[in-house]
Amino acid sequence: MGVHARKAAFGLLMLILAISIVASGCSKSGGNEASGEPSASSSSPAASSGGSSDAAKPEPFEISVFMQDPGPIPTDDNRIYKKIKDELGVTLKEEYLVGDAEQKLGVMIAGGDYPDMITANTKLVAAKAVIPLEDLIEQYAPNLKKHYEKVWNQMKDPGDGHIYWLPNYGVYQGEYKTTQYYGPAFFIQKAVLKEFGYPKVRTLDEYFKLIEDYKAKYPEIDGQPTIGFSSLAFDWRDWPLRNAPQHLAGHPNDGGVLVDPNTNVATLYEATDVAKPYYKKLNEENAKGVVDKEAFAQNFDQYLAKIASGRVLGTFDQRWNFQQGEDSLISQGKPERAYVALPLVYDPNTTDYYMDRPVLNLNNGFGITVNAKDPVKIIQFLDTIIQEKWQKLLSWGEEGVDYSVGPNGLYVRTPEQRKQQEDVTWKQANKADALYRFLPKLEGKYPDGNMEGPGNQPDEFFANLKDIDREVLSAYGFKTWTDFFSPPPENRISYPAWSIDLVEGSPAKVANQKLKDLAFKYLPKAILSKPDGFDKVWDEYVQQVGKVDTKAYLDRVNEILKWRQDNWSN
Amino acid sequence: MQSSVQTKDVSPQPVRRTDSFWIRMVRQRQLILMSFPMVIYVLIFAYVPIWGWLMAFQQYRPGFSILNQKWVGWYQFRFLFEDENFVRVLRNTVAMSLISLVLSFVTAIGLAILLNEIKKTGIKRLIQTISYMPHFLSWVIVTGLVSTALSTEDGIVNVVLMKLHLINEPILWLGEGKYFWGIVGASNVWKEVGWNTIIYLAAIASVDPSLYEAAEIDGAGRYRKIRNVTLPGIKPVIVILLILNIGWMLNGGGFEIQYFLGNGQVVDWSETIDIFVLKYGLKIGNYSLGVAAGIFKTAVSIVLLYAANTIAKRLGEERLI
Amino acid sequence: MNTARRGIRTEPLIFHTLNYLFMAFIVVVTLYPFLNTLAVSFNSGLDTTRGGIYLWPRIWTLKNYDAVFVTGHVFHAFGVSVARTVVGTVAGVLLTAMVAYTISRKEFMFRKPITLIFVLTMYFSAGLIPSYFLIKDLNLLNTFLVYILFPGAGAGLISAFNMLVVRTYIHSLPESLIESAKIDGAGDFRVFVSVVLPLCTPVLATIALFVAVGQWNTWFDTFIFASSRQNLSTLQYELIKLLSSATNSNSNPNISSSQAKDAASMITPLSIRAAITMVASIPILFVYPFLQRHFVAGLQLGSVKE
Repeated sequence: MGVHARKAAFGLLMLILAISIVASGCSKSGGNEASGEPSASSSSPAASSGGSSDAAKPEPFEISVFMQDPGPIPTDDNRIYKKIKDELGVTLKEEYLVGDAEQKLGVMIAGGDYPDMITANTKLVAAKAVIPLEDLIEQYAPNLKKHYEKVWNQMKDPGDGHIYWLPNYGVYQGEYKTTQYYGPAFFIQKAVLKEFGYPKVRTLDEYFKLIEDYKAKYPEIDGQPTIGFSSLAFDWRDWPLRNAPQHLAGHPNDGGVLVDPNTNVATLYEATDVAKPYYKKLNEENAKGVVDKEAFAQNFDQYLAKIASGRVLGTFDQRWNFQQGEDSLISQGKPERAYVALPLVYDPNTTDYYMDRPVLNLNNGFGITVNAKDPVKIIQFLDTIIQEKWQKLLSWGEEGVDYSVGPNGLYVRTPEQRKQQEDVTWKQANKADALYRFLPKLEGKYPDGNMEGPGNQPDEFFANLKDIDREVLSAYGFKTWTDFFSPPPENRISYPAWSIDLVEGSPAKVANQKLKDLAFKYLPKAILSKPDGFDKVWDEYVQQVGKVDTKAYLDRVNEILKWRQDNWSN
Repeated sequence: MQSSVQTKDVSPQPVRRTDSFWIRMVRQRQLILMSFPMVIYVLIFAYVPIWGWLMAFQQYRPGFSILNQKWVGWYQFRFLFEDENFVRVLRNTVAMSLISLVLSFVTAIGLAILLNEIKKTGIKRLIQTISYMPHFLSWVIVTGLVSTALSTEDGIVNVVLMKLHLINEPILWLGEGKYFWGIVGASNVWKEVGWNTIIYLAAIASVDPSLYEAAEIDGAGRYRKIRNVTLPGIKPVIVILLILNIGWMLNGGGFEIQYFLGNGQVVDWSETIDIFVLKYGLKIGNYSLGVAAGIFKTAVSIVLLYAANTIAKRLGEERLI
Repeated sequence: MNTARRGIRTEPLIFHTLNYLFMAFIVVVTLYPFLNTLAVSFNSGLDTTRGGIYLWPRIWTLKNYDAVFVTGHVFHAFGVSVARTVVGTVAGVLLTAMVAYTISRKEFMFRKPITLIFVLTMYFSAGLIPSYFLIKDLNLLNTFLVYILFPGAGAGLISAFNMLVVRTYIHSLPESLIESAKIDGAGDFRVFVSVVLPLCTPVLATIALFVAVGQWNTWFDTFIFASSRQNLSTLQYELIKLLSSATNSNSNPNISSSQAKDAASMITPLSIRAAITMVASIPILFVYPFLQRHFVAGLQLGSVKE
């Protein structure tokens, strides 16, 4: 019985404990409720420091922002946000996306709980969550009006002709010229080119010949087997597997379709004779042991690890995708294992069209929601930010701190200043990268001759080149990496097809997903099959694609291409 | 005391029959007070939102009220069932559920029993704590390690098999569909065996020690004690967990694991209902498809639960209801 | 006689040797992923990209942890996580046990319907949007209470699964103990508090662990219901924010050339994920050893029973 009593007392104690904790929990949350608003705003950027010292400050104004992007998330005392607050009186109360955008937007739209400003998503237009901006810009935002003048028609929604979003990229001033190439291409290690005396490489056959020869000569790199050609088909990263044929055929990046520049009509290239020679070639190379057998079963980290090990001689990809692997090679002191981007074509007489002119980044950037109490002030804030002074602060940073002005008026950075740009934690406190990414921005050359950002400043570019880079460039007689590509012609008016909104949940979108699934299933199978079995797999693939409602997909694409042709010409 | 008083009150037969419900209510008022608030809680938080199931019969677009939507009847269900892959997807789901179910039950019970045989408490606790640590790693990390271990490039599995001369060249484990279910089952065990053991260890702890003593007096060895005392002692827990898990037969033994390990080459074996719904529902902006699939899964679960419960009842085992 | 005795002695020896060997195997296999993640968390991110990190970092760095703590929100969020875990666990365990007791009583007239109501909740989900409306209508958006009340993954006031586990355990208790308490005049509540609860310590410790881990690990409710209130942010949510921010780089595959140049960064998703995993899981790992001693409580009670 003694034991019972003790146990009972213990139980009672637990209960009391529980009740008291629950009670305190409740009162705690009650407290939060009461003090909620002020404390929420005090946790916003820069509120804690330098509050009321200056008298001539603009009236404080808070803008709540939702970014459909995970960051980098700035620190509370971020230098750039502090400057914005101090000089413009604007506090940005930002929320960044963490989980799944579809879920978060789904409940946000369902509940109508929008912030003042939000980054673009076609769902928000469909739900009438954002307000038309054209009148606001006309009346209150002369700088934005000037900035977007040339592309004004392109910004209009194909559905109702209103402007809902302020595109964040694609409006250039001055001559457009980049030094590094980040887009799609066939990549090959600098060491391979060097080995064979920097030959001209134009076609697939030439490319794979070099890789075969190098692999035969060096079956191992750093003690591990050499991998001739690797690739990737993982999750949403589908382009290394799917996108090469359109470029080989001399077309620019239109996503899943080829668009005839004369008729402006789109056709599929997947599972057609445009695509077949490429996969057939990969199949042959696989039989020779050049293709990485694991390529289409590996995950992204494994792919990066292979690139970073320096033993992958070639790949088809977009450079930014495997950039980390390449950065690792540089930091290991193996710059010769880094890559050169080559614009290969099927037929040497075809002009390559990998590199394109900048396009307006449609359905991107910021919009203003129906919940914003003072849209005028918001558009005025954006109108201020588009000015050169603020743009330079966002891209280059502060003069004297992040860069200095050289004798010729051009901006230069010390090695230390360059180095700290690579430090993620430093950037969180000293840059506003995520915000800058979504804001309307000046691209190209400023009137004073400086480029929009350090990355494209020619002197900065040359200062970063390694010996092997100089050797490669001079062997080919080029100054920058983009010289490997044909200069891009003027964009087709309706270009690019990849930015076409296929409409949520529509048959076009279903068809698009099915095409992707079939590519992921059949293309690796075809590549890895015995050479005499290739045609059988390919025929099956073509047959399966034939069952997909590709008409719904093409109809939607063509409808918008036509709309663009009619409405985008100035 | 109270109850005896009340039974005295209701002695006449006819009155008892009509009043018995209310009288029992009064008599059991403490039980009612202890349970009803929680019943109300669960009705509000779990049952009230069921109106959302209406979405399964719509082409739901967020931003408009549930009644202001396009009604599409059984379209979403047809989309699901009429897809030529549906049978395959269903097969994969059930197969991976079954494999994971059997493997995780056998391994967890086995490990619990073996752990229980370790008499040094400190060591036992240490092993226990270590064995459940993978539970706290996310599937991204675990599947990353699985992929590395199975890689044809220096993956530990291929290296060991080659050293043992069991194979002549590395096997592309994740590129061949026939291995996929087994890999999923094994990965599940790896990550969760320690965690799954906890519940059985608690159950074993509740077995009356006098039963062991009695068995020992009868001359029972280790194995007979396990068979005749430990296993019967934890049987009710095993049965209940089995019934509950059978109800989850359409969950495919996880979601992320297939999502991260699957690839185009093994899609015929790796794609489950949840992944299908993710691809053709949420990812392309069709919210309704997921709801329809959810309703289908619920219906199947209820049938399976009912069947399992009935079987348990027939066998005279612990049962759900 | 002599040989028989030797037989009895060697049999356990073999068994124990094999058993310890097997346990050593289990320890190696289950410890490895954790140690590997630990090593990665202390290794330079760019170097990790090369692969080949097993149990020891190749290039030591604290950068990955720097990145976790840089915003300073992590500490406050840690407090919120502890608070929700403690409150949620204590309330959850007691309420679960209480309802479990009522449905373990064979004479209880609502036993079956109540059991059914709870069991079914395990097999359906109403979907996110209706749940959001419910929380909004109850004015629970951006409150601490939503963490306790919302029945999401592992959280919520009561879990049907745990309840059934406790009920099964109560069934295994000797009915005579409850009966004798009732004969002494105890009502059901007193029986529950003074007889059943103390006897249930092992199973309560088990479900306490389940609930605590569920409460600790979930970030979804913060994401959906409380994301706009920084002072309600939990540790897991802060960490998941960091993780997706590091994983992000650039998620538009079709983005044109000049737009993708800020994609590369020195801290890789792989390495920051490792650091985050450590920060997130080490605190909760200590809960189990603390609860473990209750697992033998049943043994002691057993001897009291007779």
